[in-house]
Amino acid sequence: MVLSLALAVLVGCDVPVAGPLGVPGNPGAPPQRGGWLQVASYTHVRTLDPAIAFDEVANSIEHFLFAKLLDFSPDGQGFVPDLAENWEVSDDQLRVVFHLRRGVRFHDGVEVLASDVKRSLERALHPDTPCPVSSFYERITGYRDFVQRRASSLSGVKVEGDYTLVIELSEPDSTLLSVLALPTAAPVCRSAGAVYDREFTSHPCGAGPFRFHSWEPGRYIRMERFEGYYQPGRPYLDGIEYAFNVPTFTQRFKFEDGLLDHIRELGEADLARYLASPAWHGLGAWEPARAIHSLFMNTEIPPFDSRPFRKAIAAAIQREQLAMVRPGSVRPASRILPPAIPGHDPSPGQRYDLALALDLMREAGFPYDPVTGRGGYPRELTYVAISDSFDVEAAQILQQHLARIGVRFRIRAQGWPAHLAETSRRRTVAFGSDGWAADFPDPSDFFEPLFSSKAISEEESQNRAFYRNPRLDALLEEARREPSQERRLALYHQAEDMVLDDAPWAVLYSKRWFELWHPYLRGYRIHPARSGDLAFTWIDLQARTAVQGARWAPPLSRGQLALWIRPGGKH
Amino acid sequence: MLSRALRRLGASTLVLWGVVTLAFVINFALPGDAARILAGPQARPADVARIREKLGLDQPLLVQYRRFLGRLLHGGPSSLNPRDEAHGSCTALGPIHVDLGVSYQQRKPVLVLLASRLPASLLLASAALLVQLLLGILAGTLAAVRKGSILDHGVVSLTLLGVSTPTFFLGLGLQYLLAYRLRWLPFDGYGTTWPERLRSVILPALTLGFFGAAYYTRLVRDEVLGQLRQDYARTALAKGASRLRVLVVHVLRNTLLPLLTVVGLDFGALLGGAIVTEKLFRWPGLGQLSVDAVVERDGPVILGTVLLASSAVILANLLVDLSYALLDPRSRSP
Repeated sequence: MVLSLALAVLVGCDVPVAGPLGVPGNPGAPPQRGGWLQVASYTHVRTLDPAIAFDEVANSIEHFLFAKLLDFSPDGQGFVPDLAENWEVSDDQLRVVFHLRRGVRFHDGVEVLASDVKRSLERALHPDTPCPVSSFYERITGYRDFVQRRASSLSGVKVEGDYTLVIELSEPDSTLLSVLALPTAAPVCRSAGAVYDREFTSHPCGAGPFRFHSWEPGRYIRMERFEGYYQPGRPYLDGIEYAFNVPTFTQRFKFEDGLLDHIRELGEADLARYLASPAWHGLGAWEPARAIHSLFMNTEIPPFDSRPFRKAIAAAIQREQLAMVRPGSVRPASRILPPAIPGHDPSPGQRYDLALALDLMREAGFPYDPVTGRGGYPRELTYVAISDSFDVEAAQILQQHLARIGVRFRIRAQGWPAHLAETSRRRTVAFGSDGWAADFPDPSDFFEPLFSSKAISEEESQNRAFYRNPRLDALLEEARREPSQERRLALYHQAEDMVLDDAPWAVLYSKRWFELWHPYLRGYRIHPARSGDLAFTWIDLQARTAVQGARWAPPLSRGQLALWIRPGGKH
Repeated sequence: MLSRALRRLGASTLVLWGVVTLAFVINFALPGDAARILAGPQARPADVARIREKLGLDQPLLVQYRRFLGRLLHGGPSSLNPRDEAHGSCTALGPIHVDLGVSYQQRKPVLVLLASRLPASLLLASAALLVQLLLGILAGTLAAVRKGSILDHGVVSLTLLGVSTPTFFLGLGLQYLLAYRLRWLPFDGYGTTWPERLRSVILPALTLGFFGAAYYTRLVRDEVLGQLRQDYARTALAKGASRLRVLVVHVLRNTLLPLLTVVGLDFGALLGGAIVTEKLFRWPGLGQLSVDAVVERDGPVILGTVLLASSAVILANLLVDLSYALLDPRSRSP
């Protein structure tokens, strides 16, 4: 039995992927109502309270449950109205007036008013609420007094009638609209209370297209269509079931069996099989990368306090080789902003140039002769990486790259909590893996925490390279205040060039995800600002019913049983 | 007998205190904390600091430890209000309250979390133990009575394979064969009705039980062979008792005694230690809860699961010890 099972696993590991269920329909077909969408993740959510949940899966579920004042546009470059019909920004950038739609209802039937938006924002930012992104809103007038309990309300958020909300800022902040489009600022029902209450997470209530149905923590959450949603006729699905803690291996089998309609978390081997399968050709799509991965160099610790040494490291790395290990999902990157972020520049930034790297090593005082292997940095360094991640594999490749310029290091892998604790402590870690995923699609979300001197502290530094550049600080401040998006992006481009030239980071790669869905799932378009934006998809019920009939065919006959091991013969 | 039980109970309490204290200190000493994990890897320092203060993680070790112990058992009202700040996470046993605190990550009382996971763990542990015992006793006995035969060699080889097969490998194989290819059983999950649960527990129980069954087979085989060589077995056979009767009535009965000791230890371990199996089959048991808690540095849940798992092992051993005294007259002498 064990041998046959071992064989089964081996065969299973190499079994060609089954074909898609259903056939692509007429793109112009009108949406149908009905059906439950089934999706899964290998992780789980800890809470569904938008005031405190900020991980990727929780965020995608919150978009089903909660409507916001505004949302990121489908191209990720701007904003579209949601609860607010429109808004006006004053010339001095210090005041934004939102005009709310009339007649929008919460899931409990109560109308959404401007006072609910203010109440919900105050609830999220209340000092008793463990909100992980409270400081995103720190430029709202009165924020400090409110979080330090010197004021009972946020003075900068003003209700002017039932449908007008005014937000005043203590200084111009071009990220305000972005952070208001996050679920953290989403209005919640009055039953949520004035401050965070742990009971709310067991019955989350907002004004989104789906309302809470049931939740078994660690297993699944079910959400059903909210018939009172403000967009007539939408959403189309009867509901969504989001399963948690489903291993990627099982997700693939469930997807092929039609037990999942959409899949995103594919193992590398399965991803390669789907990409190579003719049956899946033209189906599925890559998400644009929202995260960037790098090697940070602590500019306060020798030898990385030497700019030529850091630049030599950046010039010695062949980024294409990193991408060859994970073809498709890992893309070589030489600039800071990943493709999904406004301001991304596809032109090369930090380039591989071995001759230049050797010259820079000489300039840094560590000449290295690659023929004799003499010279280079005299001591072995330690590189810290996050265990159970691609970081470790990347580090092994970097070992070979840097050995060519006489820099040798050993790898120390550790879990991310320990990694963060150590690398963010001053004068503790010389270099290691780093990276950043967009909290919201804006360049400031990358530059300010990663490279501004404001982000340096003794114990909790987000600027892990401890990189200081007053010119960069001034540029970032100017960009934050700049009202014109075009001029802002130009300023961030300058900032990017400045950082790349000083090389506190050697930019390595961006990682992206491939999404697949069966052809009977219609109307899905990947959103550059978030994953799994499935709220307004619909299911071709006829096509799905046909394949479900096939799926639940009677168990295999004895003759078929003998052939069960035949790979790829299911569909 | 009673004084023996009381002595064991006293010693067990000390062991429990030691284990929980050790877990507390280790969790405190590790770099990074629950506030950082709750806030996420990219949270701004001011937000992490605010959450740390809110959870009381900015306090020194001794203050946190004193608060934990003080809360663990204390007095209070018999009826509880979940919104009561002081007693919202308590379970009242009359005027005595048990309080393991609130999960940092899930924001629920730890006792509620443990209580919600315990039935699934008990079901899986019992089913896995049943698989282990049935397979182990049957295969072990057959191998012993057919010693030196192909069957014996086959069983011994299989047990070697069984103890050396990683759980995740066997689990994936079973899932692939019985759920994906043959569609006889569900892939994973716990079901919502009892018939669904009984179907759902088969795959994880087989996965978990197979490893133990291999070990039990070897144990039973050796023990049966030993017992068959004893004078009492030879006498029974000489007196004309059938081989089957001697095996079932005399030999197996004596074989069960050493098996009982192992079963006691295993049940406790299975209750909280089926981590890989629970993860693979999405079984909502204590193993998955504890591993999530460790990954997320969720101190109250770590301490709760440590306390529960240690109690289970200690209680199972205590029961085995006491039952040993009942089953084996030789162990009753002072």
